[in-house]
Amino acid sequence: MIRVSGLRKRFGKSEILKGISFEVPPQTVLGVMGPSGSGKSTLLRCLNGLETISGGTIECDNVRLEANISHADYRRRVKDLRLKVGTVFQGFHLFPHLSVLANIIEAPTHVLRTPKKKAETEALELLESVGLAGAAKRFPGSLSGGEQQRVAIARALAMHPALLLLDEPTSALDPRRIHSLRTLLRTFVERGHTMLIISHSMGFLGGVADNILFMEGGSVVEHGPTDQVLNSPRDARTKDFLEQAD
Amino acid sequence: MAKTTLPEKYTCHKEAQEAQRILRIRLCLLCFFAALIAAILCLVSACPVRAQQQPLRWGADPSGGAPYIFTDPANPDRYIGYEKEMVDALAAAMNRRAEFVPSDWQTLVSALQRKSFDVIVNGLEPTGDRAQQILFSKPYYIFQLQLTVRADDNRISSLADCKNRVVATLGNTAASRLLQQEHVPFRSYEDPVGAYRDLELKRIDAVLMDVPAEAFYARPNPKLKPAGPPFTKGQYVIGLRKGDDALKAEVDQAIDKIIKDGTLETILKKWGLWNDAQVEFETPIRSGTEAASNIEYTTTNATFNWSEALWRLTRAAGVTVFIALGAMVIAILFGLPLALGQWKGPAWLRAFCTLYVEFFRGTPVLVQLLFLYFGLPVIGIAMPGWLTALVGLGLNYAAYESQVYRAALEAIPNGQWEAAYSLGMSPTLAFRRIILPQAFRIALPPMTNDFVSLFKDTSVAFAISVWELATAYRELANASGQFLLLGLAVSAFYLIMSLPMAHLARLLERRLSNRAAERMVDDAEPLEVSA
Repeated sequence: MIRVSGLRKRFGKSEILKGISFEVPPQTVLGVMGPSGSGKSTLLRCLNGLETISGGTIECDNVRLEANISHADYRRRVKDLRLKVGTVFQGFHLFPHLSVLANIIEAPTHVLRTPKKKAETEALELLESVGLAGAAKRFPGSLSGGEQQRVAIARALAMHPALLLLDEPTSALDPRRIHSLRTLLRTFVERGHTMLIISHSMGFLGGVADNILFMEGGSVVEHGPTDQVLNSPRDARTKDFLEQAD
Repeated sequence: MAKTTLPEKYTCHKEAQEAQRILRIRLCLLCFFAALIAAILCLVSACPVRAQQQPLRWGADPSGGAPYIFTDPANPDRYIGYEKEMVDALAAAMNRRAEFVPSDWQTLVSALQRKSFDVIVNGLEPTGDRAQQILFSKPYYIFQLQLTVRADDNRISSLADCKNRVVATLGNTAASRLLQQEHVPFRSYEDPVGAYRDLELKRIDAVLMDVPAEAFYARPNPKLKPAGPPFTKGQYVIGLRKGDDALKAEVDQAIDKIIKDGTLETILKKWGLWNDAQVEFETPIRSGTEAASNIEYTTTNATFNWSEALWRLTRAAGVTVFIALGAMVIAILFGLPLALGQWKGPAWLRAFCTLYVEFFRGTPVLVQLLFLYFGLPVIGIAMPGWLTALVGLGLNYAAYESQVYRAALEAIPNGQWEAAYSLGMSPTLAFRRIILPQAFRIALPPMTNDFVSLFKDTSVAFAISVWELATAYRELANASGQFLLLGLAVSAFYLIMSLPMAHLARLLERRLSNRAAERMVDDAEPLEVSA
């Protein structure tokens, strides 16, 4: 689970995130929507520590990241935060020089110092569960986009994150693949995982998210259960966006 | 309609302009070639005229060539030396004008053969090898050899004490052949200055040199002393092209004349080179008791030995490999930190690295080596030649490597760093495990390229008297005249060294980059979504 309150991010003089607050309860999926430039990607990069936050707090399990603490302290906490938050990037960013199996066990063996045998067993189980049991020895370059995405999910989950972030997971998939990704993600939620998914696709989020957060101009416009936000949005801007989309 | 014709007219005009331009260029080219042909014709027609009208063109190596011929320190635009004065006297006796052609000791014989000048006057000794290639005049001077050591060195008093030490001498001289015969390890130098300097710097243990050079360079130096008396006797003669018998007769006569009328004695006395050996040599000629023409040169019995030459080439190739590999290690060890400093370092480090790279890329490696070899001893760092070459080439190539590495590192997309960070990796771990292996793959082809050219660049080490392959070629070929065969042999050595490396790198490259593709062909099974 994760709790974000009053999160701000400035780049020079322009403020991209103007005090964002929300919470993702355990074993649920939060879908984040919003027009381009609304700050969705910056939010994601703050949550996994790739951007330094300018204000507010991010709490995940027992890690609490906040602005205005000493540099060394901040770095330490970012390191801890990254261990709690897993990310599946829009471009996947698999390591092309490593096999699928090596991609997955790289961080567990070198960061968590899990014994190699144990890490491999876990990795093979994960590959099985994302439907790529036979691909362990293949290299990322020989996989399709959908297959790469599932390796990226397995790689992130191998670190046992408290929260899994997915950035535009449907952008590279055809409709059939989108459907099976939705099924896959729901299976992982059933098994106890918590997720935050950024997506433009209402159809996809409607089938996978428990709650929807709608952002515009760096602020939260609307936040509520999926049904409510998608079917009877309270804010005019959400309504506008939904009418134009899909 | 009017609108469409306008551009047509315009292009017509342009075409005409273009045609005019081409015509002008052709005219210029024509003029240029006409002038060139005229110039060549002039030169060609001038040649026979000059052969008739006879300045005596003589070749010698003036660099470090005192007291034979050298640049006048008081008047650096002029050459002086006892042989200069002697040739002037000879030319006067021949009713000619002497014309000096500065040349290089190692290539004197080949330069004579390709008609750069007509005679060699450079303390040349008649050897069997040379006798096969050129004609010799009568002798004009009797030289001896002198061993020199450091003034505080009492270990060496004769050549016999040098068996396990390193003795320096000039390449392809009587001294170098004697050392070779006696199996004394030696290093060849281009000029006496370098040899005596290295003796002072303790890079070598002794110098064996002809007395004239020794008298000029070593005797006035208080840090050096002669080891034992001068020994062996040899003759200096003038070298001529085969078939130039008329000129030989003319030269022989002139030599007789300046010996008989005492001109040569005056010159030698002036330069402090008149000694008992000269008295013994000149007296019979001057008294006429011995017909001057009966004195024939005696050849040193050194002839060219192919198996020994190949063995020397093999050892030289070993030195080349050693220097190249050592330089490579330095280039890699220094190149990576330089690349990192220039890429991610703080401003001062970036500036330093850029300065380093620009300095070593922007100045010739030859100048860098000369600086390291001759310049650094001034501040007390005197490295032996092979180490200088190794370090110099290493530092030079580090600059090139750093640019290859930097380009390779920058080619790795930022997403790789972010993916590694988001998995909890530290910057060093991400660099070591994720970025570096990928960058290595990109850097491999240009690295191979650089290292093959490093193998060849070791040849600049000849400038600092390192006995590597190029030096060996120059020296052996000059001693034997076998430029073609030895050249082929040396090329073969270079290829034997560089081809396997290129091949190895290609294999590695293929293994790294085709791995993914190979897998796809090997076990491509359709993977269906199962979840």
